[in-house]
Amino acid sequence: VSAAVPIPVIQVLQVLTIALGAPWVTGVIARVEARLQGRRGPRVLQPYYDLAKLLRKESLAPQGASWFFLAAPVVAVAAYLTIPLLIPVLTTYGLPLGYMGDILGGGFLLSLASFVVATAALETGSPYAQLGSSRAKTFSAITEPVVLFVVFTVALLTGTDLPYALAATVRSSAGQVIRPAHLLASAALFMVILHETGRIPVETHTGTNEFGMIEEARSFEHSGPYLALLRWGSELKQLILFTILANVFVVPWGLASTQRLGAALLAIAALLAKAVAVGCVVAVIDNSFAKLRLFKITEYVSAAFLLAVLGVFTLYLGGR
Amino acid sequence: MSTPGVYEGVANAVAALMLLLEFGMLRQAMVRDQVRLYAAQSALISVLAVVIAADRNLPDLYALAALSGALKVVAVPLVLRRLLGAPIGEETPGVAGSYTLGPASAVLACIGLAAFGFFCFGSLGIHSPEAPATALATAGAMVFVAFGLMIVRRDVASQAIGFFSLENAISLASLVVAAGLPLLLETAFLFDLLLAVVVFGMLIRAHHSRAASLSTSDLTKLRG
Repeated sequence: VSAAVPIPVIQVLQVLTIALGAPWVTGVIARVEARLQGRRGPRVLQPYYDLAKLLRKESLAPQGASWFFLAAPVVAVAAYLTIPLLIPVLTTYGLPLGYMGDILGGGFLLSLASFVVATAALETGSPYAQLGSSRAKTFSAITEPVVLFVVFTVALLTGTDLPYALAATVRSSAGQVIRPAHLLASAALFMVILHETGRIPVETHTGTNEFGMIEEARSFEHSGPYLALLRWGSELKQLILFTILANVFVVPWGLASTQRLGAALLAIAALLAKAVAVGCVVAVIDNSFAKLRLFKITEYVSAAFLLAVLGVFTLYLGGR
Repeated sequence: MSTPGVYEGVANAVAALMLLLEFGMLRQAMVRDQVRLYAAQSALISVLAVVIAADRNLPDLYALAALSGALKVVAVPLVLRRLLGAPIGEETPGVAGSYTLGPASAVLACIGLAAFGFFCFGSLGIHSPEAPATALATAGAMVFVAFGLMIVRRDVASQAIGFFSLENAISLASLVVAAGLPLLLETAFLFDLLLAVVVFGMLIRAHHSRAASLSTSDLTKLRG
């Protein structure tokens, strides 16, 4: 346990933690959510069984769909698996590939994954899938300014837009934690995450009701291993967003500061615990608030935008 | 870019929270929720007074915090609820839907107003460890958002709450800039608020008895 692990192995461990931990985190959240609703709920490992089942099934593609329809899930998962290389998943120190992209780079990869899935959904010709991708793109256009302002806040706080630098700044003193700009940016990011994971304000992330389907509708025509990849992709996206919130903004503690194996294992346990904690908060919020009507989404996003803009404002007066 | 100390950080965070509650009041459709948010905002003023009292060793401010809490967190919301006296579970007519702008547009417009207030107060250049510049500028932003609230909502209740929260913004500014103000003067400010409550109370009563609604859009009929 006290043996030093080579840096490339730690880098691989970061990706593996996200890749293998994501279905577990989804399973735990589904279980907690079921308990909140007075149900027994599925097993914690159910998402793994679902993925395994889908991977064994045959896959069908709608007539007229091109190679892009089949390539999209693979590209999306590849994009999601690249992001853990850029963000502090397990370590406080930057890993060699951690500097190949900043927060904007991570954002571009998330957008790329979402774009290819939406385009593949458009290719199918299915009205539900097209409705889902049209809605997803419309609403991501209005949440984008919020994300940009959160990035501006990070850039103003740290002088750089590297996620490792913000996590180190937050850890550096208590004054940083209660800094209004930091609190406001974290709250804005949390609201965006609630929206992006299909919880609040209009979606039901597990539902098959047309009105509540945005993310779910896009994978309507995929089947077999391709559907498995899309499901796994949305689980990966959820854990990546939770990791950014926890390890960069809210609780960047419990990360490994050395190359020892024990420290890395502890960091894995801490990350999964933090992700489950964030997930439980999300589940409680999801189950306590009524969903809004579709076009009320602007009100929700304007509130998140307000938080992010105020975060930038407060930084403009002598950096206080 | 320097990092603020813990006192300054708390003062700034409380000020930012108060500004967010001001936006909350702007956004809320129901008057009882607005009153709740006003009470929460007033409670934050008392918290800030306690923080400043502890940081700078000013025992007067504890008394002010208690007095302000009793008046603004308990008494004023109670009086407002009785004045607006709709049965529990029902909303006073004329309040919900009194927006002149949609909620999202109102929030965006008030972000503009807040930016104006923020940078106006910020450019005053009051920088000292005792007066956190951000908290003061946030108080300025709150003043403008409170005016915005009174403008975009066409009902007497929201306008009264906007006016009372304006007083909260001024209390915040005075606490940040001149925490050592004599207790007597601070108490005099609170009596201003009492006067405002009485005047608004009479206005609300008079308007409600004439129009059977709290909406001010009916007032156009009074033109000669």
